[in-house]
Amino acid sequence: MADRRTIETLDLRKSFGTTEALRGLNLDVPAGSIFGFLGRNGAGKTTTIKILLGMTRPTAGEARVFGLPANARDSSVEIRRRTGFVSEDKELYEYMTVDEIVRFTAAFYPKWQGELEQRYLRTFELPLATRIKALSRGARTKLALLLALCRGAELLVLDEPTSGLDPAMTEEVLQALVAHVARQETTIFFSSHQIAEVDQIADRIAIIDRGRAVVAGELEELRERYRRIQLVFDGGAPQPAFRAPGVERIRREGRVLTVLSSAGAERIVDEARALNPVSVDVVPVTLKEIFLETVSAED
Amino acid sequence: MLWRKSWLETRTRFLIGLFLLLLLAAGNVFEYPRVSALIPATRSIDSGGALGGLIRKAVELQRDYRGFIWWQWFRQNLTQTWTLFAVLLGTGGLLSQTSGGAASFTLSMPVSRTRVIGVRAATAIAELLALALAPSLLLPLLSPAVGQSYGIADALVHGACVFAAGLIFFSLAFLLSSVFNDIWRPALMACVVAVVLAIGEQIVADGSRYGIFGAMTAEVYFRTGGLPWPGLFVSAAASAVMLYGAAVNIAEQDF
Repeated sequence: MADRRTIETLDLRKSFGTTEALRGLNLDVPAGSIFGFLGRNGAGKTTTIKILLGMTRPTAGEARVFGLPANARDSSVEIRRRTGFVSEDKELYEYMTVDEIVRFTAAFYPKWQGELEQRYLRTFELPLATRIKALSRGARTKLALLLALCRGAELLVLDEPTSGLDPAMTEEVLQALVAHVARQETTIFFSSHQIAEVDQIADRIAIIDRGRAVVAGELEELRERYRRIQLVFDGGAPQPAFRAPGVERIRREGRVLTVLSSAGAERIVDEARALNPVSVDVVPVTLKEIFLETVSAED
Repeated sequence: MLWRKSWLETRTRFLIGLFLLLLLAAGNVFEYPRVSALIPATRSIDSGGALGGLIRKAVELQRDYRGFIWWQWFRQNLTQTWTLFAVLLGTGGLLSQTSGGAASFTLSMPVSRTRVIGVRAATAIAELLALALAPSLLLPLLSPAVGQSYGIADALVHGACVFAAGLIFFSLAFLLSSVFNDIWRPALMACVVAVVLAIGEQIVADGSRYGIFGAMTAEVYFRTGGLPWPGLFVSAAASAVMLYGAAVNIAEQDF
Protein backbone atom coordinates (compact mmCIF):
# COMPACT_ATOMS: atom_id res chain seq x y z
CA MET A 1 0.00 0.00 0.00
CA ALA A 2 2.73 2.44 1.02
CA ASP A 3 4.60 1.90 -2.26
CA ARG A 4 1.69 2.98 -4.40
CA ARG A 5 1.36 6.64 -5.20
CA THR A 6 -2.10 8.10 -5.49
CA ILE A 7 -0.84 11.52 -6.57
CA GLU A 8 2.43 12.33 -8.26
CA THR A 9 3.54 15.63 -9.74
CA LEU A 10 6.80 16.19 -11.53
CA ASP A 11 8.19 19.67 -12.16
CA LEU A 12 4.63 20.96 -12.38
CA ARG A 13 4.34 24.52 -13.63
CA LYS A 14 1.44 26.85 -14.17
CA SER A 15 1.50 30.47 -15.25
CA PHE A 16 -1.38 32.90 -15.46
CA GLY A 17 -0.05 35.58 -17.79
CA THR A 18 3.15 36.76 -16.19
CA THR A 19 2.28 35.31 -12.78
CA GLU A 20 3.85 31.95 -11.98
CA ALA A 21 1.44 30.08 -9.70
CA LEU A 22 3.47 26.84 -9.74
CA ARG A 23 7.22 26.79 -10.31
CA GLY A 24 8.26 23.18 -10.60
CA LEU A 25 6.18 21.45 -7.96
CA ASN A 26 7.16 17.89 -7.06
CA LEU A 27 4.78 15.88 -4.91
CA ASP A 28 4.35 12.23 -3.95
CA VAL A 29 1.21 11.22 -2.12
CA PRO A 30 1.23 7.53 -1.13
CA ALA A 31 -2.00 5.57 -1.18
CA GLY A 32 -3.79 5.44 2.16
CA SER A 33 -2.13 8.51 3.61
CA ILE A 34 -3.69 11.64 5.07
CA PHE A 35 -1.64 14.23 3.25
CA GLY A 36 -1.64 17.80 4.52
CA PHE A 37 -0.82 20.34 1.83
CA LEU A 38 0.28 23.44 3.68
CA GLY A 39 0.97 26.87 2.37
CA ARG A 40 0.17 30.51 2.74
CA ASN A 41 -2.69 32.10 0.83
CA GLY A 42 -1.68 32.30 -2.82
CA ALA A 43 1.11 29.72 -2.48
CA GLY A 44 -0.37 27.55 -5.25
CA LYS A 45 -2.47 25.04 -3.29
CA THR A 46 -5.76 25.57 -5.12
CA THR A 47 -4.05 25.71 -8.51
CA THR A 48 -2.42 22.33 -7.78
CA ILE A 49 -5.78 20.84 -6.82
CA LYS A 50 -7.45 22.23 -9.95
CA ILE A 51 -4.75 20.68 -12.12
CA LEU A 52 -5.16 17.31 -10.37
CA LEU A 53 -8.90 17.38 -11.10
CA GLY A 54 -8.56 18.55 -14.70
CA MET A 55 -10.11 21.96 -14.10
CA THR A 56 -6.94 23.77 -15.09
CA ARG A 57 -4.19 22.70 -17.46
CA PRO A 58 -0.56 22.89 -16.46
CA THR A 59 1.83 25.05 -18.45
CA ALA A 60 4.55 22.40 -18.12
CA GLY A 61 5.40 19.31 -16.11
CA GLU A 62 3.32 16.31 -15.24
CA ALA A 63 0.53 15.49 -12.81
CA ARG A 64 -0.72 11.93 -12.35
CA VAL A 65 -3.52 10.65 -10.15
CA PHE A 66 -3.94 6.87 -9.76
CA GLY A 67 -1.17 6.70 -12.36
CA LEU A 68 -3.40 8.48 -14.90
CA PRO A 69 -2.41 11.77 -16.52
CA ALA A 70 -4.58 14.51 -15.03
CA ASN A 71 -4.19 16.58 -18.18
CA ALA A 72 -5.82 14.10 -20.58
CA ARG A 73 -9.60 14.49 -20.94
CA ASP A 74 -10.60 10.82 -20.77
CA SER A 75 -8.36 9.97 -17.84
CA SER A 76 -9.47 13.14 -16.07
CA VAL A 77 -13.06 11.88 -16.11
CA GLU A 78 -11.84 8.54 -14.71
CA ILE A 79 -9.85 10.37 -12.00
CA ARG A 80 -12.95 12.33 -10.99
CA ARG A 81 -15.02 9.14 -10.93
CA ARG A 82 -12.67 7.83 -8.22
CA THR A 83 -12.26 11.11 -6.34
CA GLY A 84 -14.35 13.09 -3.87
CA PHE A 85 -13.79 16.83 -3.86
CA VAL A 86 -14.69 19.70 -1.56
CA SER A 87 -13.88 23.11 -2.95
CA GLU A 88 -12.58 25.99 -0.90
CA ASP A 89 -15.75 28.06 -1.30
CA LYS A 90 -18.16 25.10 -0.70
CA GLU A 91 -20.49 26.57 -3.29
CA LEU A 92 -23.18 24.17 -4.44
CA TYR A 93 -26.28 24.62 -6.58
CA GLU A 94 -28.28 27.13 -4.57
CA TYR A 95 -31.54 26.30 -6.36
CA MET A 96 -31.47 22.65 -5.24
CA THR A 97 -32.64 21.28 -1.92
CA VAL A 98 -30.34 19.10 0.20
CA ASP A 99 -32.21 16.01 -0.97
CA GLU A 100 -32.00 17.04 -4.65
CA ILE A 101 -28.26 17.61 -4.61
CA VAL A 102 -27.67 14.33 -2.77
CA ARG A 103 -29.71 12.47 -5.44
CA PHE A 104 -28.01 14.45 -8.20
CA THR A 105 -24.52 13.61 -6.99
CA ALA A 106 -25.33 9.98 -6.19
CA ALA A 107 -26.42 9.43 -9.81
CA PHE A 108 -22.83 9.92 -11.04
CA TYR A 109 -21.21 7.42 -8.70
CA PRO A 110 -21.96 3.69 -9.00
CA LYS A 111 -20.24 3.11 -5.64
CA TRP A 112 -22.38 5.70 -3.84
CA GLN A 113 -22.75 4.66 -0.21
CA GLY A 114 -26.39 5.01 0.75
CA GLU A 115 -25.94 3.84 4.33
CA LEU A 116 -23.14 6.30 4.89
CA GLU A 117 -25.29 9.04 3.36
CA GLN A 118 -28.07 8.32 5.87
CA ARG A 119 -25.58 8.28 8.72
CA TYR A 120 -24.03 11.63 7.76
CA LEU A 121 -27.44 13.19 7.17
CA ARG A 122 -28.28 12.29 10.77
CA THR A 123 -24.85 13.15 12.23
CA PHE A 124 -24.63 16.50 10.44
CA GLU A 125 -28.34 17.24 11.06
CA LEU A 126 -28.91 18.32 7.46
CA PRO A 127 -32.53 19.20 6.62
CA LEU A 128 -33.44 17.36 3.41
CA ALA A 129 -36.16 19.72 2.20
CA THR A 130 -34.20 22.94 2.74
CA ARG A 131 -32.80 24.79 -0.25
CA ILE A 132 -29.03 25.14 -0.25
CA LYS A 133 -29.21 28.92 -0.44
CA ALA A 134 -30.92 28.86 2.97
CA LEU A 135 -28.16 26.79 4.64
CA SER A 136 -25.57 28.32 6.97
CA ARG A 137 -21.90 28.18 5.99
CA GLY A 138 -21.31 25.37 8.47
CA ALA A 139 -24.22 23.32 7.10
CA ARG A 140 -22.96 23.88 3.54
CA THR A 141 -19.53 22.63 4.53
CA LYS A 142 -21.07 19.53 6.10
CA LEU A 143 -23.19 18.94 3.01
CA ALA A 144 -20.18 19.37 0.70
CA LEU A 145 -18.29 16.90 2.87
CA LEU A 146 -21.18 14.41 2.79
CA LEU A 147 -21.29 14.65 -1.01
CA ALA A 148 -17.56 13.93 -1.17
CA LEU A 149 -17.42 11.18 1.45
CA CYS A 150 -20.35 9.10 0.17
CA ARG A 151 -18.98 8.72 -3.37
CA GLY A 152 -17.06 5.62 -2.37
CA ALA A 153 -13.99 7.50 -3.54
CA GLU A 154 -10.44 6.17 -3.32
CA LEU A 155 -9.17 9.73 -2.98
CA LEU A 156 -10.61 12.72 -1.16
CA VAL A 157 -9.32 16.10 -2.27
CA LEU A 158 -10.31 18.79 0.19
CA ASP A 159 -9.41 22.40 -0.43
CA GLU A 160 -9.38 24.27 2.87
CA PRO A 161 -12.17 22.03 4.23
CA THR A 162 -12.58 23.96 7.47
CA SER A 163 -12.21 27.53 6.23
CA GLY A 164 -14.81 29.83 7.75
CA LEU A 165 -15.89 27.34 10.40
CA ASP A 166 -15.88 27.98 14.12
CA PRO A 167 -13.58 25.80 16.29
CA ALA A 168 -16.36 23.43 17.37
CA MET A 169 -17.47 22.86 13.79
CA THR A 170 -13.85 22.48 12.66
CA GLU A 171 -13.31 19.76 15.24
CA GLU A 172 -16.49 18.01 14.17
CA VAL A 173 -15.39 18.01 10.51
CA LEU A 174 -11.87 16.80 11.33
CA GLN A 175 -13.23 13.98 13.46
CA ALA A 176 -15.56 12.96 10.65
CA LEU A 177 -12.59 12.79 8.29
CA VAL A 178 -10.47 10.71 10.63
CA ALA A 179 -13.39 8.36 11.32
CA HIS A 180 -13.98 8.03 7.58
CA VAL A 181 -10.38 7.08 6.86
CA ALA A 182 -10.48 4.58 9.72
CA ARG A 183 -13.46 2.86 8.05
CA GLN A 184 -12.54 3.11 4.38
CA GLU A 185 -9.36 2.65 2.39
CA THR A 186 -9.12 6.25 1.32
CA THR A 187 -6.30 8.65 0.61
CA ILE A 188 -6.97 12.17 1.82
CA PHE A 189 -5.20 15.11 0.21
CA PHE A 190 -6.20 18.27 1.97
CA SER A 191 -4.91 21.77 1.62
CA SER A 192 -4.86 24.18 4.51
CA HIS A 193 -3.10 27.10 6.01
CA GLN A 194 -4.33 26.02 9.46
CA ILE A 195 -1.24 24.31 10.84
CA ALA A 196 -2.98 22.99 13.94
CA GLU A 197 -5.46 20.91 11.98
CA VAL A 198 -2.79 19.49 9.68
CA ASP A 199 -0.76 18.62 12.77
CA GLN A 200 -3.85 16.95 14.25
CA ILE A 201 -4.80 14.56 11.44
CA ALA A 202 -2.09 14.38 8.76
CA ASP A 203 0.50 11.64 8.62
CA ARG A 204 2.40 13.19 5.72
CA ILE A 205 2.77 16.80 4.68
CA ALA A 206 4.15 19.06 2.03
CA ILE A 207 4.72 22.74 2.56
CA ILE A 208 4.36 24.75 -0.61
CA ASP A 209 5.72 28.23 -0.98
CA ARG A 210 5.51 30.33 -4.13
CA GLY A 211 4.65 27.35 -6.26
CA ARG A 212 7.35 24.99 -4.99
CA ALA A 213 7.40 22.30 -2.31
CA VAL A 214 9.89 23.48 0.29
CA VAL A 215 9.32 20.66 2.78
CA ALA A 216 7.80 17.23 2.21
CA GLY A 217 7.69 13.95 4.06
CA GLU A 218 6.19 11.97 6.91
CA LEU A 219 5.17 14.24 9.72
CA GLU A 220 6.76 12.09 12.42
CA GLU A 221 9.98 11.83 10.46
CA LEU A 222 10.05 15.61 9.93
CA ARG A 223 9.56 16.13 13.65
CA GLU A 224 12.48 13.77 14.24
CA ARG A 225 14.73 15.38 11.67
CA TYR A 226 14.09 19.07 12.28
CA ARG A 227 15.97 20.65 15.15
CA ARG A 228 16.67 24.16 16.33
CA ILE A 229 20.26 24.61 17.44
CA GLN A 230 20.77 27.62 19.63
CA LEU A 231 24.31 28.85 20.25
CA VAL A 232 25.12 31.60 22.75
CA PHE A 233 28.46 33.40 22.55
CA ASP A 234 30.40 35.65 24.90
CA GLY A 235 30.46 38.52 22.47
CA GLY A 236 28.59 39.04 19.21
CA ALA A 237 27.60 35.86 17.38
CA PRO A 238 29.88 34.99 14.44
CA GLN A 239 28.70 34.57 10.84
CA PRO A 240 29.60 30.95 10.20
CA ALA A 241 29.38 29.00 6.94
CA PHE A 242 28.43 25.47 7.96
CA ARG A 243 29.63 22.69 5.67
CA ALA A 244 27.34 20.06 7.17
CA PRO A 245 24.20 19.37 5.12
CA GLY A 246 20.74 20.13 6.49
CA VAL A 247 21.22 23.77 7.43
CA GLU A 248 17.93 25.41 6.51
CA ARG A 249 18.27 28.79 8.11
CA ILE A 250 20.71 30.75 10.25
CA ARG A 251 19.65 33.72 12.31
CA ARG A 252 21.96 36.04 14.30
CA GLU A 253 20.59 38.19 17.08
CA GLY A 254 23.25 39.79 19.29
CA ARG A 255 25.07 37.01 21.15
CA VAL A 256 22.68 34.32 19.92
CA LEU A 257 23.02 32.27 16.75
CA THR A 258 20.02 30.09 15.84
CA VAL A 259 20.31 27.36 13.23
CA LEU A 260 17.35 25.45 11.85
CA SER A 261 18.46 22.04 10.64
CA SER A 262 16.47 19.57 8.62
CA ALA A 263 18.96 16.72 8.98
CA GLY A 264 22.13 15.74 10.83
CA ALA A 265 21.90 18.19 13.73
CA GLU A 266 24.84 16.35 15.41
CA ARG A 267 27.28 17.28 12.62
CA ILE A 268 26.15 20.89 12.73
CA VAL A 269 26.64 20.92 16.50
CA ASP A 270 30.13 19.47 16.06
CA GLU A 271 30.99 22.24 13.64
CA ALA A 272 29.40 24.84 15.90
CA ARG A 273 31.50 23.77 18.89
CA ALA A 274 34.58 24.84 16.96
CA LEU A 275 33.23 28.40 17.18
CA ASN A 276 33.55 28.24 21.02
CA PRO A 277 30.00 29.07 22.06
CA VAL A 278 29.20 29.50 25.75
CA SER A 279 26.23 27.18 25.43
CA VAL A 280 24.69 24.89 22.83
CA ASP A 281 21.03 23.84 22.96
CA VAL A 282 19.38 21.44 20.53
CA VAL A 283 15.58 21.44 20.71
CA PRO A 284 12.84 19.79 18.65
CA VAL A 285 10.66 22.08 16.59
CA THR A 286 6.92 22.07 16.04
CA LEU A 287 5.24 21.89 12.65
CA LYS A 288 4.26 25.51 13.08
CA GLU A 289 7.92 26.47 13.51
CA ILE A 290 8.96 24.42 10.49
CA PHE A 291 6.23 26.09 8.48
CA LEU A 292 7.07 29.61 9.58
CA GLU A 293 10.80 29.13 9.09
CA THR A 294 10.50 27.58 5.63
CA VAL A 295 7.86 29.80 4.09
CA SER A 296 9.39 32.99 5.35
CA ALA A 297 12.92 31.96 4.41
CA GLU A 298 12.66 33.45 0.93
CA ASP A 299 11.17 36.78 2.04
CA MET B 1 -29.31 13.96 -13.89
CA LEU B 2 -27.52 16.63 -15.91
CA TRP B 3 -30.81 17.10 -17.73
CA ARG B 4 -32.59 17.75 -14.48
CA LYS B 5 -29.89 20.20 -13.40
CA SER B 6 -30.20 22.07 -16.70
CA TRP B 7 -33.98 22.10 -16.37
CA LEU B 8 -33.75 23.50 -12.83
CA GLU B 9 -31.35 26.19 -14.04
CA THR B 10 -33.51 27.31 -16.95
CA ARG B 11 -37.06 26.57 -15.86
CA THR B 12 -37.82 30.02 -14.44
CA ARG B 13 -36.87 31.75 -17.70
CA PHE B 14 -38.69 29.10 -19.72
CA LEU B 15 -41.91 29.18 -17.69
CA ILE B 16 -42.05 32.98 -17.67
CA GLY B 17 -41.53 32.94 -21.45
CA LEU B 18 -44.18 30.27 -21.94
CA PHE B 19 -46.72 32.09 -19.78
CA LEU B 20 -46.06 35.39 -21.52
CA LEU B 21 -46.25 33.92 -25.02
CA LEU B 22 -49.46 31.97 -24.27
CA LEU B 23 -50.97 35.16 -22.90
CA LEU B 24 -49.92 37.12 -25.99
CA ALA B 25 -51.23 34.43 -28.34
CA ALA B 26 -54.61 34.40 -26.61
CA GLY B 27 -54.63 38.20 -26.58
CA ASN B 28 -54.01 38.26 -30.35
CA VAL B 29 -56.92 35.95 -31.05
CA PHE B 30 -59.39 37.82 -28.85
CA GLU B 31 -58.24 41.16 -30.25
CA TYR B 32 -59.34 40.19 -33.76
CA PRO B 33 -63.05 41.17 -33.53
CA ARG B 34 -62.05 44.68 -32.39
CA VAL B 35 -59.41 45.06 -35.12
CA SER B 36 -61.67 43.71 -37.87
CA ALA B 37 -64.32 46.25 -36.84
CA LEU B 38 -61.78 49.04 -37.30
CA ILE B 39 -60.53 47.91 -40.72
CA PRO B 40 -63.31 49.65 -42.77
CA ALA B 41 -62.42 52.96 -41.11
CA THR B 42 -58.81 52.70 -42.31
CA ARG B 43 -59.89 53.48 -45.90
CA SER B 44 -59.74 57.15 -44.97
CA ILE B 45 -56.06 56.90 -43.97
CA ASP B 46 -54.00 58.45 -46.74
CA SER B 47 -50.46 58.90 -45.58
CA GLY B 48 -47.54 58.82 -47.96
CA GLY B 49 -43.90 57.72 -47.63
CA ALA B 50 -42.41 54.52 -46.25
CA LEU B 51 -44.51 54.68 -43.08
CA GLY B 52 -47.67 55.13 -45.11
CA GLY B 53 -46.72 52.16 -47.24
CA LEU B 54 -46.16 50.05 -44.16
CA ILE B 55 -49.51 51.04 -42.69
CA ARG B 56 -51.29 50.26 -45.97
CA LYS B 57 -49.52 46.89 -46.12
CA ALA B 58 -50.51 46.12 -42.53
CA VAL B 59 -54.13 47.09 -43.16
CA GLU B 60 -54.35 45.07 -46.36
CA LEU B 61 -52.88 41.98 -44.74
CA GLN B 62 -55.18 42.15 -41.75
CA ARG B 63 -58.36 42.23 -43.77
CA ASP B 64 -58.62 38.47 -43.29
CA TYR B 65 -57.98 36.41 -40.17
CA ARG B 66 -54.97 34.51 -41.57
CA GLY B 67 -53.29 37.78 -42.51
CA PHE B 68 -54.12 39.29 -39.13
CA ILE B 69 -52.56 36.34 -37.29
CA TRP B 70 -49.45 36.40 -39.45
CA TRP B 71 -48.98 40.15 -39.12
CA GLN B 72 -49.71 40.43 -35.39
CA TRP B 73 -48.45 37.13 -34.08
CA PHE B 74 -45.82 35.58 -36.31
CA ARG B 75 -44.37 38.81 -37.69
CA GLN B 76 -44.36 40.75 -34.45
CA ASN B 77 -45.30 39.34 -31.05
CA LEU B 78 -43.92 35.80 -31.36
CA THR B 79 -40.76 36.74 -33.27
CA GLN B 80 -39.80 39.58 -30.94
CA THR B 81 -40.70 37.93 -27.62
CA TRP B 82 -39.28 34.55 -28.64
CA THR B 83 -35.99 36.18 -29.70
CA LEU B 84 -35.72 37.83 -26.30
CA PHE B 85 -36.20 34.51 -24.52
CA ALA B 86 -33.82 32.76 -26.93
CA VAL B 87 -31.15 35.22 -25.83
CA LEU B 88 -32.05 34.81 -22.15
CA LEU B 89 -31.97 31.01 -22.36
CA GLY B 90 -28.61 31.19 -24.14
CA THR B 91 -26.99 33.05 -21.26
CA GLY B 92 -25.64 31.51 -18.08
CA GLY B 93 -24.00 28.09 -17.95
CA LEU B 94 -20.67 26.82 -16.71
CA LEU B 95 -18.57 29.96 -17.03
CA SER B 96 -21.07 32.27 -15.34
CA GLN B 97 -21.12 29.82 -12.40
CA THR B 98 -17.46 30.56 -11.73
CA SER B 99 -18.43 33.81 -10.04
CA GLY B 100 -20.89 31.90 -7.84
CA GLY B 101 -18.46 29.04 -7.26
CA ALA B 102 -20.75 26.14 -8.26
CA ALA B 103 -18.70 25.56 -11.42
CA SER B 104 -16.02 23.73 -9.43
CA PHE B 105 -18.68 21.37 -8.08
CA THR B 106 -19.91 20.62 -11.60
CA LEU B 107 -16.36 20.18 -12.87
CA SER B 108 -15.57 17.72 -10.09
CA MET B 109 -18.20 15.35 -11.48
CA PRO B 110 -17.07 12.46 -13.69
CA VAL B 111 -18.46 13.95 -16.88
CA SER B 112 -16.77 15.81 -19.70
CA ARG B 113 -17.27 19.53 -20.12
CA THR B 114 -18.60 18.90 -23.61
CA ARG B 115 -21.36 16.75 -22.17
CA VAL B 116 -22.18 19.33 -19.50
CA ILE B 117 -22.66 22.14 -21.99
CA GLY B 118 -24.16 19.82 -24.59
CA VAL B 119 -26.95 18.91 -22.17
CA ARG B 120 -27.36 22.56 -21.19
CA ALA B 121 -27.70 23.58 -24.86
CA ALA B 122 -30.05 20.71 -25.70
CA THR B 123 -32.31 21.55 -22.76
CA ALA B 124 -32.58 25.18 -23.79
CA ILE B 125 -33.16 24.23 -27.45
CA ALA B 126 -36.01 21.91 -26.43
CA GLU B 127 -37.49 24.72 -24.33
CA LEU B 128 -37.20 27.12 -27.25
CA LEU B 129 -38.99 24.64 -29.51
CA ALA B 130 -41.80 24.50 -26.95
CA LEU B 131 -41.84 28.30 -26.74
CA ALA B 132 -42.26 28.53 -30.51
CA LEU B 133 -44.80 25.75 -30.98
CA ALA B 134 -47.03 25.72 -27.89
CA PRO B 135 -48.31 29.33 -28.14
CA SER B 136 -48.67 28.98 -31.93
CA LEU B 137 -50.77 25.84 -31.50
CA LEU B 138 -53.00 27.78 -29.14
CA LEU B 139 -54.18 29.81 -32.15
CA PRO B 140 -56.12 27.00 -33.91
CA LEU B 141 -57.48 26.01 -30.52
CA LEU B 142 -58.84 29.46 -29.60
CA SER B 143 -59.83 30.75 -33.04
CA PRO B 144 -63.34 29.19 -32.99
CA ALA B 145 -64.04 31.33 -29.90
CA VAL B 146 -63.99 34.43 -32.18
CA GLY B 147 -65.78 32.68 -35.02
CA GLN B 148 -62.61 32.02 -37.04
CA SER B 149 -60.39 29.09 -37.86
CA TYR B 150 -56.64 28.78 -38.23
CA GLY B 151 -54.83 25.78 -39.71
CA ILE B 152 -52.71 23.59 -37.43
CA ALA B 153 -50.24 23.08 -40.31
CA ASP B 154 -49.83 26.85 -40.69
CA ALA B 155 -49.25 27.21 -36.95
CA LEU B 156 -46.68 24.41 -36.96
CA VAL B 157 -44.77 25.65 -40.03
CA HIS B 158 -44.63 29.24 -38.82
CA GLY B 159 -43.66 28.16 -35.30
CA ALA B 160 -40.96 25.87 -36.68
CA CYS B 161 -39.56 28.69 -38.83
CA VAL B 162 -39.38 31.01 -35.82
CA PHE B 163 -37.53 28.28 -33.94
CA ALA B 164 -35.17 27.13 -36.70
CA ALA B 165 -34.17 30.57 -37.94
CA GLY B 166 -34.17 32.26 -34.53
CA LEU B 167 -31.85 29.64 -33.04
CA ILE B 168 -29.01 31.83 -34.24
CA PHE B 169 -29.72 34.30 -31.41
CA PHE B 170 -29.68 31.53 -28.82
CA SER B 171 -26.39 30.23 -30.25
CA LEU B 172 -24.88 33.71 -30.23
CA ALA B 173 -25.80 34.25 -26.57
CA PHE B 174 -24.51 30.74 -25.78
CA LEU B 175 -21.20 31.45 -27.50
CA LEU B 176 -20.82 34.80 -25.73
CA SER B 177 -21.57 33.08 -22.42
CA SER B 178 -18.53 30.88 -23.01
CA VAL B 179 -16.41 34.04 -23.19
CA PHE B 180 -17.87 36.31 -20.50
CA ASN B 181 -18.45 35.08 -16.96
CA ASP B 182 -21.55 37.13 -16.29
CA ILE B 183 -25.01 36.87 -17.83
CA TRP B 184 -25.54 40.54 -18.69
CA ARG B 185 -22.88 41.19 -21.31
CA PRO B 186 -23.84 38.17 -23.48
CA ALA B 187 -27.55 39.08 -23.18
CA LEU B 188 -26.98 42.72 -24.03
CA MET B 189 -24.64 42.01 -26.94
CA ALA B 190 -26.94 39.38 -28.46
CA CYS B 191 -29.94 41.75 -28.14
CA VAL B 192 -28.00 44.54 -29.84
CA VAL B 193 -27.08 42.18 -32.70
CA ALA B 194 -30.76 41.16 -33.06
CA VAL B 195 -31.94 44.77 -33.17
CA VAL B 196 -29.24 45.74 -35.72
CA LEU B 197 -30.17 42.75 -37.92
CA ALA B 198 -33.86 43.59 -37.69
CA ILE B 199 -33.27 47.21 -38.68
CA GLY B 200 -30.84 46.13 -41.42
CA GLU B 201 -33.42 43.80 -42.95
CA GLN B 202 -35.94 46.64 -43.06
CA ILE B 203 -33.51 49.00 -44.75
CA VAL B 204 -31.93 46.67 -47.30
CA ALA B 205 -34.07 45.87 -50.31
CA ASP B 206 -35.25 42.25 -50.21
CA GLY B 207 -33.59 42.00 -46.79
CA SER B 208 -36.63 40.43 -45.22
CA ARG B 209 -36.72 37.75 -47.91
CA TYR B 210 -33.18 36.50 -47.32
CA GLY B 211 -32.48 37.69 -43.78
CA ILE B 212 -32.83 35.90 -40.45
CA PHE B 213 -35.98 37.76 -39.41
CA GLY B 214 -37.40 37.19 -42.89
CA ALA B 215 -36.88 33.46 -42.32
CA MET B 216 -38.36 33.66 -38.81
CA THR B 217 -41.54 35.41 -39.93
CA ALA B 218 -41.70 33.17 -43.03
CA GLU B 219 -43.46 35.74 -45.24
CA VAL B 220 -42.60 33.50 -48.19
CA TYR B 221 -44.63 30.69 -46.66
CA PHE B 222 -47.49 33.04 -45.80
CA ARG B 223 -47.69 34.34 -49.38
CA THR B 224 -46.66 31.37 -51.53
CA GLY B 225 -46.58 28.28 -49.33
CA GLY B 226 -42.81 27.85 -49.92
CA LEU B 227 -40.23 27.81 -47.15
CA PRO B 228 -37.54 30.49 -46.59
CA TRP B 229 -34.68 28.10 -47.26
CA PRO B 230 -31.80 30.62 -47.65
CA GLY B 231 -32.49 32.20 -44.25
CA LEU B 232 -33.02 28.83 -42.59
CA PHE B 233 -29.79 27.48 -44.06
CA VAL B 234 -27.76 30.53 -43.02
CA SER B 235 -29.18 30.38 -39.50
CA ALA B 236 -28.61 26.64 -39.11
CA ALA B 237 -25.02 26.88 -40.35
CA ALA B 238 -24.20 29.91 -38.17
CA SER B 239 -25.86 28.29 -35.13
CA ALA B 240 -23.88 25.08 -35.59
CA VAL B 241 -20.60 27.00 -35.87
CA MET B 242 -21.35 29.10 -32.78
CA LEU B 243 -22.42 26.12 -30.65
CA TYR B 244 -19.26 24.28 -31.69
CA GLY B 245 -17.25 27.39 -30.84
CA ALA B 246 -18.85 27.53 -27.39
CA ALA B 247 -18.03 23.85 -26.78
CA VAL B 248 -14.38 24.37 -27.79
CA ASN B 249 -14.12 27.52 -25.66
CA ILE B 250 -15.40 25.75 -22.57
CA ALA B 251 -13.28 22.64 -23.18
CA GLU B 252 -10.10 24.73 -23.40
CA GLN B 253 -10.92 27.05 -20.51
CA ASP B 254 -9.03 27.12 -17.20
CA PHE B 255 -11.44 27.23 -14.26
